[in-house]
Amino acid sequence: MIGVYREFEGCMRLLGHVLRRIQVLALPPVAESLTRQIYFTGASATTGIVLRGAFIGTLIIAYVIDVLEANSALAVKILIWVVLREVGPLIAAVLVIQRSGTAIATELALMQISGEVTSLRRMRVDPHDYLVVPRVVGVALSTAALTFYVQVIAVGGGMLLSALTINVSLGELANDFFLLASPLDFVYSVIKSLLFGVAIAVICCYHGLHPLGTSINAVPKAAINAVTQSTLIVMLLNVVFAYLVFGQAFFGLVTAKV
Amino acid sequence: MSRGDPGAPSDTDSRRAADAQGVALGYEPPGDDRGDGRVWIPAGGSHRVGGLGMYQKARLLAAVLERGPERRAIARRATSPERRAKLVLLGAELDRLEPAGRAALRARVAFLPAGGGLLSNLNAWENIVLPLGFHYPKRLQGAAAQVHGLLTELGVDPDILLPKLPERMSPYEKKLTGYVRILMEKPELLLVDDLPSGLDPAEQAQVTGFPAVYLAICPGGTFVQLDGTSEV
Repeated sequence: MIGVYREFEGCMRLLGHVLRRIQVLALPPVAESLTRQIYFTGASATTGIVLRGAFIGTLIIAYVIDVLEANSALAVKILIWVVLREVGPLIAAVLVIQRSGTAIATELALMQISGEVTSLRRMRVDPHDYLVVPRVVGVALSTAALTFYVQVIAVGGGMLLSALTINVSLGELANDFFLLASPLDFVYSVIKSLLFGVAIAVICCYHGLHPLGTSINAVPKAAINAVTQSTLIVMLLNVVFAYLVFGQAFFGLVTAKV
Repeated sequence: MSRGDPGAPSDTDSRRAADAQGVALGYEPPGDDRGDGRVWIPAGGSHRVGGLGMYQKARLLAAVLERGPERRAIARRATSPERRAKLVLLGAELDRLEPAGRAALRARVAFLPAGGGLLSNLNAWENIVLPLGFHYPKRLQGAAAQVHGLLTELGVDPDILLPKLPERMSPYEKKLTGYVRILMEKPELLLVDDLPSGLDPAEQAQVTGFPAVYLAICPGGTFVQLDGTSEV
């Protein structure tokens, strides 16, 4: 219990540091680190997400139409609910945890163990300024961008593939989509994905900078802790966020009508 | 070259303040082992401190670079002045300064570890300009010419060394990169750990020129070599 509290407090301190010291992004080394982080987390991850997004979109439409015997309007409605609001940010977050979360935790743990973090301190460079701030900002921005990318690919690709494989025209699906989608869906998913990105980066940075020991065995442990905890927190945030924003609609949806 | 004077001064506060004048680095360990690991270096020139064990050296470096004897206020108050570690940097006793004053003083001190203290995911150029980018961003513009000049003076081709990552550098190149990084900041006190360690005889001969290069760039600076040998 004390350990959990200590980790929570440590993550909150890191987050506070990021918010207080956001201006260090203007310094050349930090700006360069931010660019690298965005490239690694955002740009280089996009190729892997195309197929996943398109398959999920197709699967949802095909499943809804085939199993629920729904019309195209209901299929698109479910596509919006599921992909735009929930699955898009979640897929992006899981991808970021898999790729960047593990990389951040491992890299920072190795830097800590090999004395590079101490070297930074001895250069009078605050390790949190140089290592944490650009990673948190970079991962948050990249997660938001990836979420948008997943949404576009999943919805667009899903509708396109569905038009080819299911007896519904693309125009019909697109028409339903533009009628049903609201700006709130996009705002909601962008804010949520930024929050996911911040949570993932802060947790992974915390575990990277606080490995459980000084041997090389501490590195995989740091990565495991970072991945499991950030996955858990992302799921928790998802539920809390959905309840706060769509609580009324959510409970309306599950209430049986007599 | 002179050597750290093992006979340290001071008992009373006034005498300690007077003794701090003209001293680049003065350190008396805390507690009962005052006679062991005491260092007293006058300002200016090149000096060599031998006979420090690993523990003593680590304690000295921690005091100078990281926390020092003044780290915990409660512990400091609970310890009598006679039993506290004493640290003098560049003519000022750290225990008498406010935190901001101590930080400002430490900003004028640099340390070169035996392995160069490089970051493994940055190449030599990025390692060299990293602290400049944080502390003196305006100096970055002229840094390329300065770094090329320094490396050439130290006998290394900058075009070969600068793009290298530390994993592809020899121990000498690592040390050299770390050294150039420090020279770019022009510290008033430079502590160098085990300068010849890990080097072959030809490279060891090359590093003997390091103090002269430092003193040419920072006239009035103090270059201190911390040897890991048992020499006293």
